[in-house]
Amino acid sequence: MDARVREAVRYLGYGGHAVDEQTLALIEDSFTELEEAVGKRIIYRIFDVSWEAGRLLIGNMDIASRNLSKNLRDCKEAILLGATLGIGADMLLKRYSLTDMSRVVVLQAAAAAMLEEFLDQWQSRLRVEFENSGQYLRPRFSPGYGDFDIRHQDRILRMLDADRRIGLTMTDSYMLTPTKSVTAVIGISRKREECPLEGCEVCNKKDCIYRRNT
Amino acid sequence: MITDRLGQELLFFDGGMGTLLQERGLKPGELPEIWNIEHTEEVFDIHRQYFEAGSDIVLANTFGANALKFHSDEYELEDIVTAAVVSAKEGANFGVHDGREVYVALDVGPTGKLLKPMGDLSFEDAYAAFAETMRYGEEAGADLIHIETMSDTYEVKAAVLAAKENTKLPVFVTMIFDEKGKLLTGGDVPGAVAMLEGLRVDALGMNCGLGPEQMIPVLKEVRKYTSLPVIVKPNAGLPKQKDGVTYYDVEPESFAGTMKEIVELGACVIGGCCGTTPEHIRAMTSACRGMKASSPVKKKATIVSSYGRAVELGDKPVIIGERINPTGKKKLKQALKDHDLDYILKEAIIQQDNGAHILDVNVGLPDIDETAVMTEVVKEIQSVTSLPLQIDTVNGEAMEAAMRIYNGKPMINSVNGKQESMKQVFPLIQKYGGVVVGLTIDEDGIPDTAKGRLRIAEKIIAEAAKYGIDKKDIVIDVLAMTISSDADGAKTTLEALKLVRETCGVRTVLGVSNISFGLPFRPAINSHFYTMALQNGLSAGIVNPSSEDMTRAYDSFCALMGYDENFARYIEKYGSRTAEVKTGGDTSGMTLSAAIEKGLKEEAHLITARLVEKTEPLDIINQELIPALDRVGKGFEQGTVFLPQLLMSADAAKNAFAVIKERFTGDDMLEETRVKVILATVKGDIHDIGKNIVKVLLENYSFDVIDLGKDVPPEQIVEKAVEEDVKLVGLSALMTTTVVSMEETIRLLREKKADCKVMVGGAVLNQEYADMIGADFYGKDAMQSVYYAQKVLDRE
Repeated sequence: MDARVREAVRYLGYGGHAVDEQTLALIEDSFTELEEAVGKRIIYRIFDVSWEAGRLLIGNMDIASRNLSKNLRDCKEAILLGATLGIGADMLLKRYSLTDMSRVVVLQAAAAAMLEEFLDQWQSRLRVEFENSGQYLRPRFSPGYGDFDIRHQDRILRMLDADRRIGLTMTDSYMLTPTKSVTAVIGISRKREECPLEGCEVCNKKDCIYRRNT
Repeated sequence: MITDRLGQELLFFDGGMGTLLQERGLKPGELPEIWNIEHTEEVFDIHRQYFEAGSDIVLANTFGANALKFHSDEYELEDIVTAAVVSAKEGANFGVHDGREVYVALDVGPTGKLLKPMGDLSFEDAYAAFAETMRYGEEAGADLIHIETMSDTYEVKAAVLAAKENTKLPVFVTMIFDEKGKLLTGGDVPGAVAMLEGLRVDALGMNCGLGPEQMIPVLKEVRKYTSLPVIVKPNAGLPKQKDGVTYYDVEPESFAGTMKEIVELGACVIGGCCGTTPEHIRAMTSACRGMKASSPVKKKATIVSSYGRAVELGDKPVIIGERINPTGKKKLKQALKDHDLDYILKEAIIQQDNGAHILDVNVGLPDIDETAVMTEVVKEIQSVTSLPLQIDTVNGEAMEAAMRIYNGKPMINSVNGKQESMKQVFPLIQKYGGVVVGLTIDEDGIPDTAKGRLRIAEKIIAEAAKYGIDKKDIVIDVLAMTISSDADGAKTTLEALKLVRETCGVRTVLGVSNISFGLPFRPAINSHFYTMALQNGLSAGIVNPSSEDMTRAYDSFCALMGYDENFARYIEKYGSRTAEVKTGGDTSGMTLSAAIEKGLKEEAHLITARLVEKTEPLDIINQELIPALDRVGKGFEQGTVFLPQLLMSADAAKNAFAVIKERFTGDDMLEETRVKVILATVKGDIHDIGKNIVKVLLENYSFDVIDLGKDVPPEQIVEKAVEEDVKLVGLSALMTTTVVSMEETIRLLREKKADCKVMVGGAVLNQEYADMIGADFYGKDAMQSVYYAQKVLDRE
C-alpha cells in the first residue's frame, strides 16, 4: 500500500484496523481525481532567528511560544513556508457534498495525505541540500500546534507574500483558504538532533483516534 | 487623454516597486504603503527614476492600499492613497525631461482575501473596499486605474465595477496567468477576456507570475480572443530561490530583447513587474521606442464564460440544459417554495454530468422574491459547477442583480423585438456584458413567416448596435411553436433558422421541445426535430440533457458532421453498448437491509423500487431501513465499521428513502414523522464537512434538517429557530478562533429560544469545552448526534 494511501486510511479513523476493499477503491479513486484537480504550490523564505527578553523573533515577527522556542533551540535561522493544493480540491469537495458524502470524507482524507506527502517530498529534497553544507532541518511546526498562536498566520502570509505568489490567503478567523493549505516554520540548525519527533508524535493527545501507531 | 493614444502608439509602464523598496530597507511583512508617508523621498525617487528611464505611465504605490489589506493605527487610508498619487506626480515633474505626456495610475492589487463561496469575503465587501480606494485615487489626481496581479475573475469583476461606478477614469486590467494560460482559480484566457470585454475595460493583459519568454504563448492566446489593446508586464524571469530568498535573473538587455518580440506580437502597453528595475525599463524603452503598436483586431466569436471556463457558440453546437425552470415541473416548484437549494444544485450537477455546456436558470414563480432567489441560486450553482449560466427572467431587477453577482460573462435569456424590452435589457448588457438571446417577437406578435422573423432579428441587432453591443453578443431565437396548433410550425422555424444564420451571420438558440407540445410520445418528435434544427444551423439547443433521445441526437449529429474528433465522445459513451437492453445491478437474493449495510447505492435503489410495489412504506422503513442503519451505527460505535462505510450506508439508505418518498408523496404517515432540526457551521467558520455528515445521518433517521450552511451569524440561527419553532440546534466549529461564535450563538439561543437544546461538535471541541460554552450536548462523532437527537426529541 502506498504511504499516502496508508495515511489517508489513518485520517479516516481506521486506527489499526484493516481497510475494506470498497473504501480502499474509493481512496485510490479519490487520489486520481485529486491529481487532476489540484495545483500544488509552495513558497518559502529564510529568516534570522533570535531571542529577545525570552521572546522569539523570526525575522521581525515576535512570537511568544514555548513549544516553538523549544523546537527552534540552537537555530540561528528558520524557513517560513506556505503550501497549498489550490482551490481545485475545495471545489471537488463542495461538488460531492451534495451527492456523495462518503466520497467527501475520503477525498478530504486523501487531500490531507497528499498535502503532507507534497511537503515531505519537498522537505527531503531540501534536507539533502542543507546537509551538504552542514546544516540540519527541524520538523515542521505550524501555527496552531501547541502554544504557537494561530493568529501568526496573518504575519507569515504577509512575510511570504503568499497571496500574490501562490494564491494562499486566510479568512478573518485565521483559516487558510484554499482550505487544503499549510504554513509552517522549519528551524535550521548546525546541530543534528537525534531522532527528532515529528507531526503526530509530538502531540500530547495520546487517545486521539487519528494518532499514528506509536 | 491616455485613451486617445491607447492602441495607436506604444506606451510604456514602469517596473517593480516592492523589491526596490526592500533594497531601501522595507522589511518583509511590513506594509509598503506606509512608506508613502514615512519615507516619501524614497518612493518619489523610484518614480522619478522610472520617468527618467522612459516610462509613460507609473503606478502609484497603492498596490495593497485597500481597507481589507491595509490596517494601520497611525494612518488613514485616504492619506496613504493621496500621498502615493502626489509622490508619483512629483516624480513626473522631476523625471520627465522631454516634455512627453505622462500618466499616473492608481495601482489596485488584490484584497488578499479569497471571495465567497470558497473564502469568506463577500463580493459586495470586495466592491466596497475597491471603491473607497478608487474614489481617493481619483480625487488625488490619478489619470487611470490599473487593476493588476489578479488571480480571480470574481475579484476583478468587483474591482472593475467599483472603478466604473465610482470614478470616470479609464480602467486597465492585468491578471496572473500560468504557463498553460490558466488563472490560479482555474479560469482560462478566453473566459477572462470575455468577461473583461463585457465589462468594457479599456485595455487588458497579463502581469507577474512569468518572465517575458513564458508570457509569449499566453500573449498569443490573449491576442487570439481580444478586440482590445493588450498590456504585458512580465517579471524579470521566473522566480528563483537562493538561500531562502526569491530573486529574478533576466538582465535588462535580455529583458528588452524579449519585450521587442512581445511588441511585434501585438502588445501595445508594456512594462515590468517583480524584479524589474529602472535599468530594465530604460533598456526596454530604448529598444522599443519608435516601434509601431499593432492596432487591436475586432474578434467575432460568441463566447460566454464562468470563472472556470469559456464556452464558444460556434460551428459545433452546444447544449443548454433546460431543467432549472419551474414551468411544468412540480418538484422544482416545490423546491423553490421550500428554499430547497440542494435539489436545485443537484439538478445542475446532473445536467453537467449528462453533457450540458451551459445551464439555463429560471426561478420565476408567482409569490416569490425573484431577485433574491435568482441571485442566491446563481451564486450557489456557481459554487458547484463551472458551467456558464443562462440567466432566464423577464424581471429586469432580477436580471440586473444576477448579472452583477455572476462570476464571468453570462448568457441572458432574453430580449425581444419590442422597444420596451430592448430599452430594458440592452443597457444591462452594455454595462455588465453578456450574450443575449433575442426572441423574434415584437409588438405585432410572432410572424408566421421566416422572413418576418428575420426582420425582427435584424431590428434587434440594429438596436443593440446603438448601445455599442456587437452582434457577436446576440444570439437569435426564431422560436419553435408547437406543430399541434400550426402544422407548418416546424417548417417555418427551420427555414427561419437558416435564413437568420445566413443573412445576419449570428448564432442561434432554440427551445427545442416546445415543438411537440400537446402530442403524445414527445421524445420521438423532439429528438428528430432537434437533429433537423442542428442541420439548419442551430448553435445551441435548450434541451433536457438527461433525455437519452436528445443526447443521442446530439452525439450522432456531432459524429456525423465531423465535430467529434476520432469519434472520441461517441465511442466513450456508446462503445460498451451492444443493444437496447437495459441492464440493472444484479440484486437477486439481496435484501434491502443487506444492500444498505454494504453501502450499495444502486442496489438499494433497485430493490426499493421493487419493494414499494407490494409493501407499505412504513413497513419498509421500520423492517428494513432502520434496522440496517441501526446495525451499521452500532458497528461504528464499536469500532468495526468506519466513517466511509457509515456514510456509504447512509447514502444507500438515502436512495431508498428517495424512492419511497417519490412513490408515496403526500402520504400523511410519512409526513408527520418528520421533526425539524437546525444545523449550521458557526460564523467565521467555512469548514462544513462535519456538519454535512451529521446532516446525512439525521436525514436517514427521518429528521427534517434545516441546513443553514457555513459561516452563519448567530442572529440568523436564532431567528430561524424561533420562526420554525425548532427544539434542537446542532452547531459545528473547527477552529479555536470560531468557538467564540458558537458560544455567542448559544447565549443568544438561551435568551430568545429557551426551550431549544443545543448540540455541538467539531475538531477543536471536547466535553469540557462544550460545557464551558454552555452546550447541552457534545457529539464526539456523528452517530452520537443522532442518538442525542432521538433522545431529546423523544423519537426513540
